[in-house]
Amino acid sequence: MNLLRVDMRQQRTWLEPTPAAYEHQGGRGLTAAILLAETDPAADALGPHNKLIVAPGLLGGTGVSTAGRLSIGAKSPLTGGVKEANAGGTAGDTLARHGLKAIVAEGQADSDAMYILHVSKDTAELIPAASAKGLGTYATAEWAWREFGEGCTVLSIGQAGEYRLTGAAIAVTGEGEQRSNIAARGGLGAVMGSKGLKAIVIDKAQGLAVALADADLFRAAMKRFALELTNDPKLGPKGGTHMYGTAAITAAVNEMGSLPTRNFSDGSFEESASLRGEHLRETILGRQGRIGTRCMPGCVIACRNVYVDDTGQPLVGTLQYETIALVGSNLGLSDLDHVARLNYLCNDFGLDTIETGAALGVLIEAGLAAFGDFEGITALLLQVGQGTPLGRLIGSGAAACGRAYGIRRVPVVMGQAMPGYDPRSLKGNGVTYATSPQGADHTAGNAFGARNQVNPLSIEGQRQLSLKLQILSAMLDSTGLCLFARPPVIADPQLMVDMLNGRFGWGWSAKDLDTANRAILRTELEFNRRAGITPADHRIPEYMRQEPLAPHGAVFDVPDSELDAVFDEL
Amino acid sequence: MFQTRSWMPCSTSFDPTMAVDVELFGQFSVGRPARQVLEVTQGITAKEIALRVGLNPDEVGLVSIDGVLCEMEEAVPGDCRLCFFPPMTGG
Repeated sequence: MNLLRVDMRQQRTWLEPTPAAYEHQGGRGLTAAILLAETDPAADALGPHNKLIVAPGLLGGTGVSTAGRLSIGAKSPLTGGVKEANAGGTAGDTLARHGLKAIVAEGQADSDAMYILHVSKDTAELIPAASAKGLGTYATAEWAWREFGEGCTVLSIGQAGEYRLTGAAIAVTGEGEQRSNIAARGGLGAVMGSKGLKAIVIDKAQGLAVALADADLFRAAMKRFALELTNDPKLGPKGGTHMYGTAAITAAVNEMGSLPTRNFSDGSFEESASLRGEHLRETILGRQGRIGTRCMPGCVIACRNVYVDDTGQPLVGTLQYETIALVGSNLGLSDLDHVARLNYLCNDFGLDTIETGAALGVLIEAGLAAFGDFEGITALLLQVGQGTPLGRLIGSGAAACGRAYGIRRVPVVMGQAMPGYDPRSLKGNGVTYATSPQGADHTAGNAFGARNQVNPLSIEGQRQLSLKLQILSAMLDSTGLCLFARPPVIADPQLMVDMLNGRFGWGWSAKDLDTANRAILRTELEFNRRAGITPADHRIPEYMRQEPLAPHGAVFDVPDSELDAVFDEL
Repeated sequence: MFQTRSWMPCSTSFDPTMAVDVELFGQFSVGRPARQVLEVTQGITAKEIALRVGLNPDEVGLVSIDGVLCEMEEAVPGDCRLCFFPPMTGG
């Protein structure tokens, strides 16, 4: 497989055989390896020396269920450290089938010009895209489909990325109406904007397939993997993830007292019933919307939805738990229609809904709107697209808003907003937020699924749990798998080993795989060390250690010494 | 696994029954009342209540009493809110 190198300063592209050092890397692992090997970690994240890396996982393009996720990596302008965000859609599989290990964009266009990178079979070119400048992500995709054909995949930034706002995301299209696949976290949209790259358009990989070193081994493992996903009571056709989507957990998180509510000031929301997955399903089906759709072809879990308004018109091509938590209960909003409309605006401007929801929560605490005031909140959010000073502040995230308005309650670690689990009542996630090289990010090691093994309100066992989950997440993010697909590979790591050996012929053992997964975290930690990140950056905000969270009166009381020791056994 | 909770009896009378607010979530609520108040005998466990509302205890992913996770074998106090969740996972 090749790397597609892109020099934005000279508008030049070329293919390069994958160096041996990157051979065993994919997805998140590859983005981290390239960043550490090829960039100065102390460089300006929005400057010419940062690199934007777009990489399918190791199993991308193979047809393994859920393995088509796309990793996007760069030094984060939000956290100042290494960053990987991944998304579903069709980009991961398509790039892999084009024989591309990664796209690596470096340098910057000389002026404010914006370009489209068009990737087709064996070639790639940069095309001036003045007519796409200023467009939101939905309009950019439609523009690209008109220019390059309906079947192509489009990665794009909206206004937030063009303004280089640190809450900016990258949108990735999928099949049909599944357009809202967002590589959301860490301000990677701002990095893309800083390069002068408005969009990457990838032609369909018609007739192209990835090679298999041992097709029999691979296909047997792939089949068993899909079967085990289907038979899992959480993930199969009668499981909650399929029936209710990611919002299946809303009620449980609320019940556990961990649902971000009114700028993380409460752990349960009195109107949470109207935000539950059960209500989401009932609403969508009652309006002839769609439940159980897929972000990637071949996914057997199918956790997505198409949320429609009361006339049946699609509002957003999946409404997910994290958005419901951060843009719903965290803002005191209990109407899913309101959450969906704000979700659409975030997607169109190219914003991370977690970061933006947290930023708006901070601004409400500062008095710029009221909790539950949908019109007031919408008016604030619209300013991002308009590019007003306040809009740019909102698009820069929760930490920037907190600093600007002198607010102490700012739910961030390493400058990045916390997702939909208050760490005071789910302390394992607090340990992950605090210690992950990615900043506050539930996908780096979500302890919610381990609530029956480790008491979420206790200190005991959280450090060990978080490390185990962070290693696991590194593997999933590097192979291209969805986080939901972890049960079969937890139960039998050999299953993943067989899929990798079948694909590449590496002859790996389970021990080799574990070593590789741990090495990814070591690479990321080393990047951050060189970038100047210190243990003091890996802390839960002080107010969360002091202010008890209702209903359990919990504070985050995992000692700093425990946080600092998380990677001792890496 | 979790510490067994302690609680004060909600009544000093000799009435051996008590009320428990039971709520079912997700697919557990399909074809069953999502919420009901049950009159039960004191000392009853979460597992026994699960059986009474028609759940297979082996299929329960999470059970909580007044928002605190508990074990199926745990005795349920009166005047509490008992929630049964199917297996679920966070993304």
